[in-house]
Amino acid sequence: MRTHLGLVMLCVMSAAGVCSSTSAPESPRQFDCRSREKETFSCWWEPGSDGGLPTEYRLFYEIEKGVRECPDYVSAGENSCFFDKRHTSFWAEYIMMVVATNALGNASAQFQIPDVMNYVKPDPPVNVTVVVNSSAPSPFLEIRWKSPPNVDVRTGWVTPKYELRVKQNDSKEWKVIDIGAQTFFNFHNVEHGLLYMVQVRCNLDYGKWSEWSNTIFAKIPKHHQLEKYFWIFVFVFSLIPLLTAMYILVLKRKVVKQCLLPPVPGPKIKGVDVHLLKSGQSEDVVNALTGNQNFPPMAAWTEQVEDFLLVSDSDEWLLTDTFASEEKKDIFIIPASLHLGLEIQCGDSTVDLNTWEKTDDSKEETKSNFLNTEPINLPIEKQECLSGEEVSIQPNTSYVDIQQRPTLTDYSRVKEVNGDTILILNEEEIPHGSDAVKVKREVSVPDDYSRVKEVNSDVVFLEKGDSKPIMPHDSELSKGFCSKMIANGYVDSVPSFSVK
Amino acid sequence: IFFYPGTVKMHMAVYLVAMCRAVPVNDLLDRASQRSDKMHSLSTLLTQEMDSHFPPYGRMQMPRPADCHTSILQTPNDKEQALQVSESDLMSLARSLLRGWVDPLAVLSTNAITLPHPAKSSISSKIQELQEHSKSLADGLDILSGKMGPAAQTISFLPYTGGTDLGQDRVTILNKFNFLLSCLRRDSHKIDSFLKVLRCRAAKLQPELC
Repeated sequence: MRTHLGLVMLCVMSAAGVCSSTSAPESPRQFDCRSREKETFSCWWEPGSDGGLPTEYRLFYEIEKGVRECPDYVSAGENSCFFDKRHTSFWAEYIMMVVATNALGNASAQFQIPDVMNYVKPDPPVNVTVVVNSSAPSPFLEIRWKSPPNVDVRTGWVTPKYELRVKQNDSKEWKVIDIGAQTFFNFHNVEHGLLYMVQVRCNLDYGKWSEWSNTIFAKIPKHHQLEKYFWIFVFVFSLIPLLTAMYILVLKRKVVKQCLLPPVPGPKIKGVDVHLLKSGQSEDVVNALTGNQNFPPMAAWTEQVEDFLLVSDSDEWLLTDTFASEEKKDIFIIPASLHLGLEIQCGDSTVDLNTWEKTDDSKEETKSNFLNTEPINLPIEKQECLSGEEVSIQPNTSYVDIQQRPTLTDYSRVKEVNGDTILILNEEEIPHGSDAVKVKREVSVPDDYSRVKEVNSDVVFLEKGDSKPIMPHDSELSKGFCSKMIANGYVDSVPSFSVK
Repeated sequence: IFFYPGTVKMHMAVYLVAMCRAVPVNDLLDRASQRSDKMHSLSTLLTQEMDSHFPPYGRMQMPRPADCHTSILQTPNDKEQALQVSESDLMSLARSLLRGWVDPLAVLSTNAITLPHPAKSSISSKIQELQEHSKSLADGLDILSGKMGPAAQTISFLPYTGGTDLGQDRVTILNKFNFLLSCLRRDSHKIDSFLKVLRCRAAKLQPELC
């Protein structure tokens, strides 16, 4: 029984010992302070073990002279001490002592704060705004913020400096920019369609940096779709009239050409009236063009002409040999009905002479003019006078068709070919017109060929000479022709005229 | 360093004032605060560069800021105090601190070249740059103070008694170097803060400057 009681006592006593194993508190550990605005500061400590008993912590500080206790244990939270403005001194050393006390004892620790300024760490900036400025030429971020509200910037006692960082949403690296003391910044390195994150922080007097502010997001809009469509719209609509104009130009290029490049008017000759040319006298025109030059007188020209043609329609001429021989003129005998229808309508006589000149060919040999059957282009040919008007010698019913010559392609018409003579033509009509010459005569070809004037392909022309003319047996005259041979004559195979 | 006798200074100040009448005070203060800002940036970088390769002091071994040669100068330690100081006093304080670092900067500069530290070339170049800015700022503040009250002309004498030699062993040299840089950073911060308060106060007509 006694042993039982002793055991029980031991048990009770041991139980009491386990329940009250308290001890004095351990000294606090870790000590840190912070000033958020360079006006007040707070300190915190980490308590040690409390020894199982409620422990009281007290802070005592010594600054320059005297020991004081912490003025405020509450404002900064547990295990803290808050020093308000009146209790805050900068550039002064604080010696802090924290004492932990409980029922069983106490413990303390000392901390040295040489300069509270070393513990200045402000709050982050507030009211950070990021606005996307989309003005040309490229967008940028307008970043604005404000200093922490508890920092007093108006006195100059504290100067906050800022730092900002920007990052693309899906990028890993921040772009950090040192701002200085201003509270705004324009960030230009942005691209369309991307999302950006912005943060700002600050420090006071080159102290510790604050925490980064809240992240502000900003998205750069993509290129304005509406604006794009608008300009496409305008472009297309402005193309339509342009294309239409081009189309018209291409189709009606002739008209356009005429409009833009009118035909060049004809040349204008000074002194010459266009209307005059059309209707006026060619004399005036020529005068105008040639400048009233004096051409050599007609007489001069006529001198060249050794002979002139006497044209008569009477038979008297034929009978007088002497006259003809003396005169030695070539007489063109033209039947009455024939008149030289040389109605040259040119008013210029020189023209007539010119035309006549053509008929005289080898004048140098003889003074006689043969009318050769060489086609004189006079009657037929249309000559253009200077006036520009065509001259056409009107072929009358009976004109000298010199052109027509007896073409002896058809040798059937040759009646007789004598040794000395060549009989030309026969009585058959020459197919050319009704005015064909139908003279046949017998011409003897002299031995002296010197008198041969011309050798035509079909006929032989003999010049006027001493050869006896052989009177044709018959001289059949065509209707309008007279071909009387003159005794003094000569071989003239030209049926149309008898030339002396 | 002994500063010039007051009379000579006054004459110089008057002369300088006559020369610089064209530039407004606000503009001069703005330039001055920009330069002090740059100086503080450099000193902060220096301490950070130093710490990157040098283990920080143990909590008990860290030299106390009261040991800085400029700590004898009474300066405002918080915002309210700073806002209550007159412009002339603020100017005087800034100029005094600036003048007090001429010698120590020279010591730092000579010792940086042979500093047993991997980043000594970068440190050396920064210290040289600091020296240039310090000189330029001091000249500018001399001109500015001429436009302010007589209190601005007063400069407190802050002698450096640390000597040109930082120590014999590597640890000592590095510790001293580090300590000097921390003091420099503290004082550059003061100068910058005072000048910025001055600038804001002078630009009351243009609140957007602050």
